[in-house]
Amino acid sequence: MADTTIKKELWERIPQDNKDAEVISRPSMTYWQDAWRRLKRNKISMLGLAFIVFMVLFALVGPTLAGHDYSTQDLTLSNIPPRFEIYQIDADTFVYVHSEYKLIDVLEDGTLIGRIKEVQNNLNDKNRVYDIDGNEVFLDYKYAAIKDSSEADAGIKFKLFVNGTEVQPYKTVWNKGHLFGTDNMGRDVLARVMYGARISLSIALIATLVNFFIGVLYGGISGYIGGRIGNTMMRIVDIITAIPLMLYVILLTVIIGTGFKSIVIALGSVYWVNMARIVRGQVLSLKEQEFVLAAKTLGAKTSRIMLRHLIPNVMGPIIVSMTMMIPSAIFTEAFLSFIGLGVNPPMASWGTLANDALSGIRTYPYQLFFPSLAISLTMLAFNFFSDGLQNALDPKMRK
Amino acid sequence: MEQRTESPKEVLLEVKNLKKYFYSKSGFIKSNVQAIKAVDDVSFTIYKGETFGLVGESGCGKSTTGRTIIRLYDVTDGDVIFDGANLSQMTQSQIRPYRKRIQMIFQDPYASLNARMTVGDIIGESLDIHHLAKGKERQEIIWNLLERVGLSKEHANRYPHEFSGGQRQRIGIARSLAVNPDFIICDEPISALDVSIQAQVVNMLQDLQKEMGLTYLFIAHDLSMVKHISDRIGVMYLGKLVEVASSDELYDNPKHPYTQALLSAIPIPDPDVAKNSHRIVLEGDVPSPMNPPSGCRFRTRCRYAMDICSKVEPVLVEIEPGHFSACHLNKNSEGVSFQETVQND
Repeated sequence: MADTTIKKELWERIPQDNKDAEVISRPSMTYWQDAWRRLKRNKISMLGLAFIVFMVLFALVGPTLAGHDYSTQDLTLSNIPPRFEIYQIDADTFVYVHSEYKLIDVLEDGTLIGRIKEVQNNLNDKNRVYDIDGNEVFLDYKYAAIKDSSEADAGIKFKLFVNGTEVQPYKTVWNKGHLFGTDNMGRDVLARVMYGARISLSIALIATLVNFFIGVLYGGISGYIGGRIGNTMMRIVDIITAIPLMLYVILLTVIIGTGFKSIVIALGSVYWVNMARIVRGQVLSLKEQEFVLAAKTLGAKTSRIMLRHLIPNVMGPIIVSMTMMIPSAIFTEAFLSFIGLGVNPPMASWGTLANDALSGIRTYPYQLFFPSLAISLTMLAFNFFSDGLQNALDPKMRK
Repeated sequence: MEQRTESPKEVLLEVKNLKKYFYSKSGFIKSNVQAIKAVDDVSFTIYKGETFGLVGESGCGKSTTGRTIIRLYDVTDGDVIFDGANLSQMTQSQIRPYRKRIQMIFQDPYASLNARMTVGDIIGESLDIHHLAKGKERQEIIWNLLERVGLSKEHANRYPHEFSGGQRQRIGIARSLAVNPDFIICDEPISALDVSIQAQVVNMLQDLQKEMGLTYLFIAHDLSMVKHISDRIGVMYLGKLVEVASSDELYDNPKHPYTQALLSAIPIPDPDVAKNSHRIVLEGDVPSPMNPPSGCRFRTRCRYAMDICSKVEPVLVEIEPGHFSACHLNKNSEGVSFQETVQND
């Protein structure tokens, strides 16, 4: 048998240092640091955040980089799509046949030069004759009006002849000067979408901030006072919710006219009710918590309890509801602008852009596509972001 | 009798006929107001430097009594006289100076600290409210208090969620000590803690009492812990005080049937003794404080209930020096019920 006796020294008790028991090894993290750490792990919501940052930059610095002004019109270059077919006339002369059957001089890379003046315009026979650098160019667009023909079946609407021979499309190019094309006034769609982003995002931001202040104050007071006064305050909220937003906006525009201001006022005066409800609910449950009672026994005044104890503790739900409010404010603004209650031209928001594009939706779908894309992607980004934020701020998720 | 009850002592807090009713409204058009008598005619006195324990079942009004004394709730009726001043009728601004002298320690160490504030700010809040100290001086006080409750000054910049239950409770104690109070209401300060931590906190409270000359109102439902810390104990049942005595007297010689039942429920750590001890099991539940029984409130669960109990409400009378009880059973040496002698007056 091996020697199994254990030396006596080994049984000596390790002196217990009381201080060690109180040491916290985990690095100190504030609530917000902790939430940010959790948010960073959520890929989709970070993607949303990245897109929001991109959209804000797009709105802020975009218009200065676009090279076009949102309001400058050029009627000769109206309704030109972002991508089009060009025809070769001679070695370095190219034309684009506009959907209004006019020829536009372009470079091979897609840079627009300008409208070409026709020599003859036969409206009855549906053709135009041009003289380009000595070449006789004949644009015959009668096929667009003929229903039963092999051309109509093949989708051909016009034919282009140079010195008597028909030419086929040379190639399809991107619109160099106007990446998103131009609208019916010849304004750059990209510049207008950027400018629209400015208007849409600032309306959303202002409306949300107004809602934040009114909602938090109103809900906080209603929840903290409680009782009859608090209930009456919430009944007023119910009445405001019961009035349809649309009616409200129409009445407002009657008084102060359509435009940026009336949309902000309309959104600001209606949207806060949800915020007020959330804050009231939270405050009602928090005010009975012992830390609020503790602050009272220390002699804290109501304002201090509200600002230092209650509101910081409701900040999580408030911020989540704010980020959820932004997309719905963007959408409401777009919707109001779309039905003609929005900002006035030449100012543009995404909603008015969509509205303007609606008349030409069959011929110029790109004019509707870009503002709609901007609206959808921004709303999606905000929704992804707020979803992740909700998970990150929810204390129940805390491990 | 015990000497400490006989020696003249300075009264710090006197609660006279304190009542706190909560009203519950039901009905929309014709409102039906019902009073919940959480505290109904409670009177007791707390002397300077002592610990007064308040025990009773959940919902008997112990915590409400504590919170009404410190005016977290408005007083329905009665007086709370603290060091000669009647707190019960003061407005919140009049009472503010007294907030420095009366403090409270709360039950739930997780709910009683604001999660968005650092421990330093939590402890220092009263210094800011009463403009007692600023800058370096404030920090010194906070560090001092932290060390006093067995934490270190590095903890001042941390947030409550980083601490354990016992540590949090000690932070709560440090917060209440920051204003240098005379009187602390301990509202079940140990019932949310592990047994191993309970002793630590109770011993700390006793040490602090000795060092700073504090007076405690110790609210709890754990009788053995209350006996350990209290000089005198009051037993509450359904908003009423049924028995008040010094802690040894109450344990050795309980007069009220409810106190007897409570004491018999204390687990005895010796199996041989436990085998022979008789446990009084109370039948039924505590009646609703909205509609308490007539006469003696305990009669529905009392095994000695008599006819008189449903007719006459017993009052708290001194049946022995320093020992008060509210029961028709208590008789003096001549065999006359104390209740009769008092109610005939």
